[in-house]
Amino acid sequence: MISLKTVSKLYNEGRPNEVCAARDIDLELARNKVTVLTGPSGSGKTTLLSMIGCLTRPTTGRVFVDGDMVSGLPEKFQTELRRTKFGFVFQRFNLIRGISVIENVMLPAAPLGPEYHELRERAQNRLERLGLGAKADMPVEFLSGGETQRAAIARALINDAPVLIADEPTANLDTVLTERFLEIVGELQAEGKTVIMTSHDPRIWQSSHVNTVVRMQDGRIIGVDA
Amino acid sequence: MIFQTPILALLLISALSAVVMLWAGWFALRLLLRWDLASGSRAQLEMERATDLVSTLFGFVMLAQLLSLLLYVFNADRMATLFVGAMCAVGTLNNNDWGFPTLYGKLAIFFVATMWLILDRADRTGHDYPLTRVKYALVLVIVPLVLVAGALELTYFLNLQADVITSCCSTEFTPETEGLGSDMSSLAPATALWLLGASGAAVALVGAASLIWKRGTTLFAVAGAVFFVVALTAIISVISPYVYEHPTHHCPFCILKPEYNYFGYVLYAPLFMGTAFALGAGLLQPFRKVESLAATLPARISKHVTLSLASFVVFGLVVLWTIWKSQLILFG
Amino acid sequence: MKHWLRRQRYLADFTLAALARRRVKNTGLIVIYSIIVFVLASAMMFSAALRNEAGTVLAKSPELIVQQLVMGRHEMISGSEIEKLAGIRGVASVKGRLWGYFYDSVNGANYTFMVPDDESYALQPGEAILGGGIGEARDFTWDTAPLFVTSLAGKMVKFNVRETFADDSALLTADLVLISEADFRSFFNLPPDVWTDIGVTIRNELEIATIVGKAQLVMPNARFVTRSDIERTYQRLFDWREGLMTALAAAGVLAFAIFAAEKASGLSAEEAREIGILKAIGWDTGDVIAMKLWEGGLISFGAFLAGTVFAYLHVFSFQAGLFEPILKGWAVIYPDFALAPHVDGLQLATLFAITVIPYTAATLVPIWRAATADPDQVMR
Repeated sequence: MISLKTVSKLYNEGRPNEVCAARDIDLELARNKVTVLTGPSGSGKTTLLSMIGCLTRPTTGRVFVDGDMVSGLPEKFQTELRRTKFGFVFQRFNLIRGISVIENVMLPAAPLGPEYHELRERAQNRLERLGLGAKADMPVEFLSGGETQRAAIARALINDAPVLIADEPTANLDTVLTERFLEIVGELQAEGKTVIMTSHDPRIWQSSHVNTVVRMQDGRIIGVDA
Repeated sequence: MIFQTPILALLLISALSAVVMLWAGWFALRLLLRWDLASGSRAQLEMERATDLVSTLFGFVMLAQLLSLLLYVFNADRMATLFVGAMCAVGTLNNNDWGFPTLYGKLAIFFVATMWLILDRADRTGHDYPLTRVKYALVLVIVPLVLVAGALELTYFLNLQADVITSCCSTEFTPETEGLGSDMSSLAPATALWLLGASGAAVALVGAASLIWKRGTTLFAVAGAVFFVVALTAIISVISPYVYEHPTHHCPFCILKPEYNYFGYVLYAPLFMGTAFALGAGLLQPFRKVESLAATLPARISKHVTLSLASFVVFGLVVLWTIWKSQLILFG
Repeated sequence: MKHWLRRQRYLADFTLAALARRRVKNTGLIVIYSIIVFVLASAMMFSAALRNEAGTVLAKSPELIVQQLVMGRHEMISGSEIEKLAGIRGVASVKGRLWGYFYDSVNGANYTFMVPDDESYALQPGEAILGGGIGEARDFTWDTAPLFVTSLAGKMVKFNVRETFADDSALLTADLVLISEADFRSFFNLPPDVWTDIGVTIRNELEIATIVGKAQLVMPNARFVTRSDIERTYQRLFDWREGLMTALAAAGVLAFAIFAAEKASGLSAEEAREIGILKAIGWDTGDVIAMKLWEGGLISFGAFLAGTVFAYLHVFSFQAGLFEPILKGWAVIYPDFALAPHVDGLQLATLFAITVIPYTAATLVPIWRAATADPDQVMR
């Protein structure tokens, strides 16, 4: 479903602090599978994830989603793609402070100007599914670590995107919550979604819910285990 | 004379517009020389990002220029008391040779900027920047226009002289004197109304054809432009007298005054909007076959035609209402 | 259209919450912005109100005033000219006017002495009606204290003050002393049948120019001042003073614009992070720009409203206390008065143009820069 062909990424190109974060990556990611990118810090997994999720353009090479080349699209269309195809959960969950949980969940859809009550209902639905229905109107500062993560997932699901992208989703969670997270991933896969995430955590790549593990080092892929 | 707040405000707007346009022009040159969508180079990406800025700036300039147009006319009207012989905006604008050209310049900028924005919005719906080169070539045409209009305005204000006796609308817009104004006002009212009706019908027919059969949109744009000119003539020749309830008062500016309840704005707004949309539709028509726009552009063009027709209808209704309500009887 | 409106609603909601989050930073900006609007709005409203007053006042004065000139200077005019003028067709009435300035050596003030032509102010010899400022200038301990002045002949004259003009007419009457015709002539040593000038009432406005033309033939040495000449002069004077203030304030506006640009450029880490998040979850550059424009719009609206309202109060409830010296000129007698409130669309539009437009212009580029940040940074 997602292909990368000889993709490289250079940061600060042409400047003294130029760094090559990813080198000649060729990768195929299948639909409806759970894939984990793993490797030590600086191995390029977050960069790769960025490029898969169209958050940044590769310096060279191409990215295809469902057969369409997306890496060369104008930014506006990449955003549209991001909105419709991908849902993001970041390392620090990145909820916006000062607004409530449900408002955070509604944010990705807001610029399209959908009908308010319909959107709110949708958001409430997602929250309930993740056990946060009662905390919908609470300011996000009052959520625990696990709750914040679930709120972030609810936000990632608001547009019914087929692909969930998560960067180190369990980095700040204990074993119980990590388990819970993996269960949710399993549920999403059962619904037909594709999940791609990065993680250092062995519990993740050793989990039965994970289909493929991609190992990286120094910006290159050194192995793919199915 | 120049130290009057509204004048300073107008000059400020012109100065800002000029600065923005100069930068936009320079950017347009760079873009036309170096635009290459296929390259993923840093320079290309930066240019793509900068196009967002230019669009925002253009929107800003257009709104500022619209405000400037209103301010210019409103202020000319208020300043009339400063000039001997002037009783409304016409007198102020006639104080020297640059008053009316400045007004025409502002009107032109309004239309051209609106059309650019219409083109810009259409361009953004295509995923491969289909109209970008055309857009920025158009920028190179707009830049000198804005600079010239600004220069005209500055010249006008610098040359305003209080001791010059200027002519008022009663001399400018009477059939007896010479000039465009008098030619327009000497047009017989009945003829003017017939022409208005006929060109309005033409616009409606061509517009309907454009909506139903998707053809003739360019003709519609032309018809819209013609209607604009005919409408202005009709306003001078026959509609103004109905507003003033005075058969020889033809001035197109006095209707903007408070004593006539600012009626001029109600009359001019739909006319200008209708014309702008008609021109916009015509501008987009040649591009409807472009691959990345083929899905959305025809609908967009139709929307512009519809808006244009709706605005013209509102204008027509306002005209009819004026004639019906007025105490003046010109016919029978 | 509905989508667009709803979109604006979401953007506005988000922006309001964002502004509330950054209260401290934005408060400073709004305060300064409001002050700028306040200063400019006060100057404009004050001048407009004065212009309006002048217009209202002049509406009652005669359409034409005729003065005698000798070698370019103003001289008393003979009563025989009155018949000449009355004979011109179109003239409704002709009346001689008696008025003059008097320098009071006691306090350095200038008074305007005048014989009223309004019957309701008819005075007996020895009586006077005074303007409100005179009592103050002379330190009267009670309202109708008698006025002692030294006439041109060197004699001390006493006037019994019948009444004092109320404060609300102070703009016109502050330095006015109304006395009878007989008293006036004796005070200023004037023979009978000379007048300071002649007021001519003309019914049809459009005929003023023609009548002036005819009068010039009959009285080649006279100066003819029409009411519109006076209106024009006042308007120009007020306009010029207001414009000068605006030009001076331009330095302030420029400084404010630079300040605003810098504020907009200096995104806090928190703000930058927020924009990154928004872009990552699906807002494009245009959406972020729209949100930032809303921010600027709300700030501008708040500042504009606050500045304008305070200016209105300042000018119409507090007599523009801060600006009096600049806008009124220097005089010993300052009228203490309340201006009639007058605000019009032109003023507000102009004010908008010189405050909100520079602010918006200054912040557009910083907004765009912030909005085009790479969302990739969010991941790190």
